[in-house]
Amino acid sequence: MTGFIAIRRTFGRIVSTLGGAVGTVIIVVVVGAAILAPLIVTHDPDALDILNRFSGPSAAHWLGTDHLGRDLYSRLVFGAQVAMLVALIAISSALVLGTLLGILAATLSTRWERVILIVFDIISSFPSLVLALAVVAVFGPSTALVTAIVAVTLVPHFGRVARAQMLTLRNAPFMEAERLLGTSATRIVLSHVLPNIAGPLVVLASIDIPVVITIEAGLSFIGLGVRPPLASWGTLIYDGYAYLSDSNIPVIVASAALAVATLGFTLFGEALRDAVDPRLDRGGH
Amino acid sequence: MTADSSAIPPVIALEDVSVVFGGKVRALDGVSLHLHRGEIVGLVGESGSGKSTLCRTLMGLGEPTSGTVTVGGEPLGARLARDRLGFRREVQMLLQDAVASLSPRMRVRKLVEEPLHVHRLPLEDGRARIEVLLKRLGLPANAMEKFPHQLSGGQARRVAILRALVLRSQVIVADEPTAGLDVSVQGELLNLMLDLHAEFTLTYLIVSHNLNVIRRITTRSVVMYLGQVVEEASTAALFRTPAHPYTAALLSTNPVVDPAKRRKRIVLHGEIPSPINLPSGCRFHTRCPRAAARCAQEVPQLRSVGEGQSVRCHFPLTDDMVAA
Amino acid sequence: MAAHPDAMVAIRNLRLDARTEQGPAHILRGIDLDFARGRIIGVVGESGSGKSTLVSCLLQLLPNNLDRIEGEILFEGTDLLKLPPAEMNDWRGRKIAMIFQDPMTALNPLFTVGTHLRDILRRRFPQLSRQEIRERSLAMLNKVGISDAPTRLDAYPHQLSGGMRQRIVIAMALLVEPDLLLADEPTTALDATVEAQIVELLDRLRQDFSGSIVFISHHLGLVAELCDDLCVMYGGAIVETGPVAEVLARPRHPYTRALLDCEIEDGQEGRLATIPGEVPSATWTMDACIFASRCVHAAEVCRQGPPALLPAGEGRKAACKRSFEVLP
Repeated sequence: MTGFIAIRRTFGRIVSTLGGAVGTVIIVVVVGAAILAPLIVTHDPDALDILNRFSGPSAAHWLGTDHLGRDLYSRLVFGAQVAMLVALIAISSALVLGTLLGILAATLSTRWERVILIVFDIISSFPSLVLALAVVAVFGPSTALVTAIVAVTLVPHFGRVARAQMLTLRNAPFMEAERLLGTSATRIVLSHVLPNIAGPLVVLASIDIPVVITIEAGLSFIGLGVRPPLASWGTLIYDGYAYLSDSNIPVIVASAALAVATLGFTLFGEALRDAVDPRLDRGGH
Repeated sequence: MTADSSAIPPVIALEDVSVVFGGKVRALDGVSLHLHRGEIVGLVGESGSGKSTLCRTLMGLGEPTSGTVTVGGEPLGARLARDRLGFRREVQMLLQDAVASLSPRMRVRKLVEEPLHVHRLPLEDGRARIEVLLKRLGLPANAMEKFPHQLSGGQARRVAILRALVLRSQVIVADEPTAGLDVSVQGELLNLMLDLHAEFTLTYLIVSHNLNVIRRITTRSVVMYLGQVVEEASTAALFRTPAHPYTAALLSTNPVVDPAKRRKRIVLHGEIPSPINLPSGCRFHTRCPRAAARCAQEVPQLRSVGEGQSVRCHFPLTDDMVAA
Repeated sequence: MAAHPDAMVAIRNLRLDARTEQGPAHILRGIDLDFARGRIIGVVGESGSGKSTLVSCLLQLLPNNLDRIEGEILFEGTDLLKLPPAEMNDWRGRKIAMIFQDPMTALNPLFTVGTHLRDILRRRFPQLSRQEIRERSLAMLNKVGISDAPTRLDAYPHQLSGGMRQRIVIAMALLVEPDLLLADEPTTALDATVEAQIVELLDRLRQDFSGSIVFISHHLGLVAELCDDLCVMYGGAIVETGPVAEVLARPRHPYTRALLDCEIEDGQEGRLATIPGEVPSATWTMDACIFASRCVHAAEVCRQGPPALLPAGEGRKAACKRSFEVLP
């Protein structure tokens, strides 16, 4: 409620830049497609139509069909849903866990701070691909696993930022004033810390969205992520790649979707970062 | 005000309190300070004098290394363990940077209602009290919808005072209550603090380097230097006849508009020594214009030099010396 | 308004507007002020008075939301506002020096005291030899009261106390041998006993300083003790100027009077004086006396157009239409 005007102003700043406006349009389209997927598809994305393999774009199949005759447009839309869902779940869990660990690292004793930071370093030093390979080798590929792996690799991102923010906040006079008022630690964190460190974390989250989308697509492409027949942009590219000699449309369409979505979220994330940058917040009251 | 209060235990008492950080930084050394109900006590000192540490210790934010802090006769530690929120209601502190002491993303309405939530006080009553206090403190009606950075320094201080008064605090520790305020606003705030003091029988500990403020609103003053109390007296006596050379120097350097009222400036040489490497004997002897050989060897004790006036000096100034 | 015959700097009708979310703000509303050689002028005013912006104009370090600046700042005949940036930069290192409130803004934490002093001397006097630079640096450190000067040359800013740093900054300003020395609240951040040392130092240094010193302060008492002349600013305008002792003994502007009454001094009792009300918003167009809204003497005439800054006695000026009526 109190942040409503601030959010509106921030959003106003984002769309006032070219990149921000383009990014916002792309995000609206991609997120809209993901949410409305069952309503806006023209075919069951898994329905086979062997007779119509590799058909080009037509009135029946807007973007044509793949090697099993499935409707590419519908698969693309459901691919967006998978990408969004993985991004949403992975990033929000990483955000919550990272923020919690970051705040703890900045407030607990030095020993615990070291432990948490070492855990962060270990996670970061592990390439997510290698981690994914190892985990998939043990548990077998699945969408849930992809999400979990991505989430874990992102925890240090948020953890480090949350810790840095908390360190500057820790000695702020208002934190002391709250302690003197008798405010409990939980209440201080919820009412006073989170609102003040949320900005940079949200920016980071938005910048991480395209990263997650590409990791998911990449893992699915090499067969370690989303399993067929579920549509993912990564599996779409993989399938199209196998039959590239028959038709190049699936690869082009899926890659374009991936590229445009990534670009959109990146543009939006950067515009958001600039919009909340306090250095741009001039002009007094 | 202090005359008949000896029988009643002080609201807050520090007895021989020392605070040592990391085993070597002696931030406070054997400090005793009594606050009686209804008193306005001034605490004067420069950086490194230990006045911030004293406030933190008194507010229960740090434990003394030795000595005791008591609240209404009860040890502070026990009081905090038994009734932490009760103590927080009773004793509140106004921080120096008033705007920064208010949570930046909260509107004033939320900030002044927060004490009610934290202390689980009845909301209905509390909100009514807030409305009354808002008018009493002269805050504009639209202040409730503002964020801290939209408040002036004077308004932010009023909001901080309101937060304390909502809790019906009895004792208010004010750290530099007029720092950064324009002179035209400073008087308003001090008048308000004096009115509130009478209205709610508050007890104030005013920490300030502004001697004019101390002189004008306190009844008793304590001067600190390098973690020790060097002089304590009724404010009138302290300003009329300072007994410690440090107090005298402080008073003499206080800039005055009226040439007729200026004292001869006593400029102390050197800087305040580090609390890690304290001077031997009297801590002030390195800068004292009156220092003798004895001062470097023998630590002076706080001793009485007149009614209610005590000084930590081997060679205190006498009345006729100050006049000259 | 005729220029003061011995004025080194003459500021004429200086106006500065800044862009804000509420529209154009009039930060300086037509300043007319002279600085004479060999004198310290104290500029006092509360927040929003424009005293710091005035200093920024003299240095030509203007706020980045600057909208419009007009008028003249004549420094021995040269208008600083018309100087190209490169030339102005040269003036800042040669004719104008500045002492800031926080010495750390003027000191680079990565350089030693010696480096700071050497850089200034090299720029100001390129012909000096290494040895001469060292000698001058040491002499200046002694002059500003720094004992043990040779070791201090190798010290970094963080190794010095606040008072010591301010002495270094003063030394840097004096090495420039400026004609105009600007000091913006140079003692506000210091402890009382250290403040006294710096005030004493400034008091001593002025004896052999031939230029003009502008001392910005919010503290009337300090200005009274240190300065020759006084300039009282309010809401971006000058309300009164004149020799400090006379102005403070018998103010000719109700705001100066009110400010004096707000000073807490010995021997007062009862309630403290205040100035009720607030400074008019900077966006307000000055179509009346700037102080009228808070002035106890305000009358109809005060709301009919702004008063001019007119002579009010020997070397004095005041911007009040009712000055002699209400302040006998």
